[in-house]
Amino acid sequence: MQHETINGFQRGAPVLELRGITKRFPGVLANDRIDLEMRAGEIHAILGENGAGKTTLMKILYGMLQPDEGEIYIRGQRVKFHSPQDAIALGIGMVHQNRTLVAAHTVLENIVLGHPRAGRVLNLKRAGEEVAALCERYGFKVDLKASVWQLSEGEKQVVEILKALYRGARILILDEPTSALAPSETEKLLASIQAMANDELAIVPFITHKLPIVLATSHRVTVLRGGRVTARLDTANANERILAREMVGREVIFRLERATVERGAPVLQVEGLSALSNRGYLALRNVSFTVHEGEIFGIAGVSGNGQHELAEVLAGLRPAVGGRVLLDGKDITNASTLERWRLGMGYIPAERNEVGSIGDFSLVENTAMNYYFDPQYARRGIVDYKAMRRLTEEIIAHYKVVTPGPDVRARNLSGGNLQKVILGRVLARRPRVIIANLPTQGLDVGATEFVQNQLIEAKKAGAAVLLISEDLDEVLALSDRIAPIYEGAFMGILPGGEAEREHVGAMIAGTLPKDLVV
Amino acid sequence: MFEFYARSLEASMIFTFAALGELINQRSGVLNVGIEGVMLFGATLGFIVAQTTGSYAAGFAVAILVGALLGLLHGFFTITLHGDQVVSGMGIWILGFGLTTYIGSAYAGPLGLPRIPTVFGVSPFVFLSIALVPVVWFVLSKTSLGLQIRSVGENPVVAEVSGISVARTRYLCVTVGGMLMGFAGAVYALNYNPVWNYNFLMGWGFISLALVFFSLWNPWILLGGSLLFGVFWQLALNPQLVLPGLMSRYIWRTVPFAITLVVLLLMSTPWFRAKWGAARPEALGQPYVRD
Amino acid sequence: MRLGALEVKLQPRASLPGWKAALISVLAIVVALLLFSVLFVLARVSPLEAYREIISYAFFNRFGLPLSISRGIFLLLCTYAFIVPYQAGLWNIGMTGQLYLGSLAVYAVVLALGGKANPSAAYPAGLIIPLLMLAAMAAGAAYAGVAGFLKGKFNVNEIVVTMLMNFIAFWLVSYTIKEGGPFMGGSGEGEGFKLPAALNAPLVAGVPFTAFLALALAVLLTFMFAKTKVGYEIRAYGKSPAAARYAGISGLRIPVLVFLIGGALAGLAGYHYFAAVPGVYKIPTNYGYFGDLAFYGIICGLIALGHPLPAIPVALLFGGLSVGGRFAQGKLHMNFGLDYALLGVLMITLVAFQFFYRYQIVVTRLEREPADVRVLR
Repeated sequence: MQHETINGFQRGAPVLELRGITKRFPGVLANDRIDLEMRAGEIHAILGENGAGKTTLMKILYGMLQPDEGEIYIRGQRVKFHSPQDAIALGIGMVHQNRTLVAAHTVLENIVLGHPRAGRVLNLKRAGEEVAALCERYGFKVDLKASVWQLSEGEKQVVEILKALYRGARILILDEPTSALAPSETEKLLASIQAMANDELAIVPFITHKLPIVLATSHRVTVLRGGRVTARLDTANANERILAREMVGREVIFRLERATVERGAPVLQVEGLSALSNRGYLALRNVSFTVHEGEIFGIAGVSGNGQHELAEVLAGLRPAVGGRVLLDGKDITNASTLERWRLGMGYIPAERNEVGSIGDFSLVENTAMNYYFDPQYARRGIVDYKAMRRLTEEIIAHYKVVTPGPDVRARNLSGGNLQKVILGRVLARRPRVIIANLPTQGLDVGATEFVQNQLIEAKKAGAAVLLISEDLDEVLALSDRIAPIYEGAFMGILPGGEAEREHVGAMIAGTLPKDLVV
Repeated sequence: MFEFYARSLEASMIFTFAALGELINQRSGVLNVGIEGVMLFGATLGFIVAQTTGSYAAGFAVAILVGALLGLLHGFFTITLHGDQVVSGMGIWILGFGLTTYIGSAYAGPLGLPRIPTVFGVSPFVFLSIALVPVVWFVLSKTSLGLQIRSVGENPVVAEVSGISVARTRYLCVTVGGMLMGFAGAVYALNYNPVWNYNFLMGWGFISLALVFFSLWNPWILLGGSLLFGVFWQLALNPQLVLPGLMSRYIWRTVPFAITLVVLLLMSTPWFRAKWGAARPEALGQPYVRD
Repeated sequence: MRLGALEVKLQPRASLPGWKAALISVLAIVVALLLFSVLFVLARVSPLEAYREIISYAFFNRFGLPLSISRGIFLLLCTYAFIVPYQAGLWNIGMTGQLYLGSLAVYAVVLALGGKANPSAAYPAGLIIPLLMLAAMAAGAAYAGVAGFLKGKFNVNEIVVTMLMNFIAFWLVSYTIKEGGPFMGGSGEGEGFKLPAALNAPLVAGVPFTAFLALALAVLLTFMFAKTKVGYEIRAYGKSPAAARYAGISGLRIPVLVFLIGGALAGLAGYHYFAAVPGVYKIPTNYGYFGDLAFYGIICGLIALGHPLPAIPVALLFGGLSVGGRFAQGKLHMNFGLDYALLGVLMITLVAFQFFYRYQIVVTRLEREPADVRVLR
């Protein structure tokens, strides 16, 4: 019996059922009568855009939120989760998109953390053997003694999965499992997921986009939109168009309009630039490129390959340890951040809450972040807040920012609206060069489209745009030239219009396609 | 010279108790800058109780108790009310400074109890403080509880989703840490310098706080630092032992503070930080709010 | 928490209007004074009588009132010394050491001018007094600047640094005024020499002129924070050092600058109390007491939420309470340290009240669902 019903789960038998799950937040209906059924040995993808209610549903499944209405059944037994602990005890494991690992601890310490079997005095030897056995079974490779901060995103994800499995998870919820992975890592992960499904685990990946992966791996798909289930189908009967339509609610055009602009003079010249990471190792190695007027130069890469350090060095927030940066022919390698702003650089940071804005400041004061030093807005050391307010109101109107007014604190704005304010105030300076670091990360479809179009407009107006993105499709759609970055170095520079998705995908994973001549 | 080293060791034991208490706090992510206030409370109440009851045991017990209560108070402000840890610590320090001045002034003067007998010529608390170091080290680095505490101090969100109660772990640490600080105060007032005077700790708590930064949150380095600081402190009090006649005795009193400053500066240089900087608990000083 | 059909919840405030913040601050002071009355009860003194004694001496007595004002102005300057770094998110708890250095600088200048040997000499006060003030401010600024530099350059915890420097300054003062130190007076009691009468600060309406200077500084500082570029830079750095760096604000200049300003203001407080307040005009033997009073600056600064103008009434009130407390302590035969105890009780109450600046208590009826349920953004 044991081999047929591992932990009482039988292939194809429903293991987890949701019936009529409803969750309200003040003024918002996040989940509206959602029904779901998951079976042992099945990969069941949940698809939906940001704001479709995925996160809420995931939190309910994991006991982080309690539904207002509806019931949860595990193997036909009605259950109630008061906390993640209840969910874990019933065999649910969760792999978060925002990694839930302690960076300073070792892999093994992370896996045993909070586990009841860890023992009062830690028995790391026994735990290590058990985890090694799990790795063997599903084809995971990771050094258990390494500190987590040394690992790649893919390895961190493996650690998270191991942590869930070590606690006896039989139902594995994966939040955007492939979003931060290189294509080669994605392949390995998908193989392991298949191995786990063959072992009768129910796998539930939650996914925003990457429809091809959904189609390639899952057995069934449930699509959410506006807090409701809009489609529930076997993957065999699905295709990309159907899924996208159900997800967005209208036909989606997959291509952005590419604007061709006469390429002008070089604006930003980078020669042999190198920089260290926060941990002190060489994160950016000898990178050279030039961005011209009227050009979007895209840097594609998986998170943590030096693109963040590159952006910070260019913005003057991190010292270069080698190489030069020229702006309009002027050497700015050692220039202060402020000088760079004055010389016509505009930086849109990836961390829009921590770096790009000040949560406790009003929008007017936030706008001032890029103008307080400008003679036009600050004379004899006095900031002209009236002019700042006028500018802020213009940005709000022009960019259709949803806010009660310019005096609202920035922390009260949604991510998309905040990004519009940041973008607006940077672009209003009419910068010569714009460095956009992950400008659309975490934004919904509407805001993403808006931000992308603004970058295209800036390019049309003659700005040099450096776009750093982890979203391969975005880079391919927007860029005139593309530089895939891997471990701090460019793998080449490709012309944007002709670059093949597969080639760029391989290059950001560190392999040079044989048939490609750079 | 033996006398000098014996007294130096006795000074170190107070640093060790207090700084270990602070270290336990900080490993769980809670900064308690009110350490001097907790010590003042422990010292003053321990002194008063010991004097009025004639019992050292009662004095120490009360000091530990009041330390625990102040730790809990700090916990209530910072863990339950999500208050700023610096504000709360400052509050506890100024409360201790202000209230003990008022409460203790009626008891100003010597303790008037027979001295606690020495062991091999030094206070028995010297041995206790040294013995405590491996205990704290073992608990923090080798046990499940220690892993919990370190995780809560590094990344409370992760700890919480791993099934650890951040609040309970932090409360445990602030309470135990507070007990050690209160006890350190009592050791000062009942054993090291049993004469009550207003604000008589004169910076021991703040030096202990600096010691924790110096220790890179490692109990063994902390012990080394305590021994070093004990010598400096004793030297500052008795300059004639080493360099008779050189500089006013008041100038000597500034020496431990100046040296602490220099040490803090050295360990904050980029060179030092690049080598050891990762030791700092990542979530230190940040309130944890569950959503 | 549910109470019948009502649900009581704690909610973070989205914003806090000024009048509400002021109300919370006033409430905090009232609660602290109520708590403080426990000490009177324990000492078998009627709290009402005690407060009447304190208030009437501090504010309605022709001996007490000038003392209260001088004390209040001293606390106000210390409050500014705390507030300026506080607006940049930094804690200056070294006002004590900085004001000691300020007063040492004053007497160093006087010593250099021969004021110790010849106390009755005629000096051009209009020239020398500004010089003394500048010396005090420069010394305070330089002393505090060390903390700012260490913070900005090496990220050394400024609380520990300023506190350690308090102790250093404390012993330095002892060295100068005791046991044959260079500033020791002739009385043999371990106190500083007297300021030559010609250099006593002029009084305006019985109050040292520094009082009016302090009030003018409130306006100046308010203007600086609200309107100027440097004020913007300080506030931005205070709210988010990372965002400030992005905006091109130097992570070294701001800490150094705020500590220089704060230290200068603390140095001025040192000049004020040890060279401008009638009846003092020297570094007294109990200078430690005045140093301790500087910690009231932290409380005033926090209660005023870092704003200089509201700090004025708070500092004057606390100045009066500390003067009146000392008086009541003697008159009602209470233990030494009543004003210290008040300091402690005020501070801890204020810490507890910090909660109300950030959270509000919301009471809602449970019966109906909100009518405007709509789909998530």
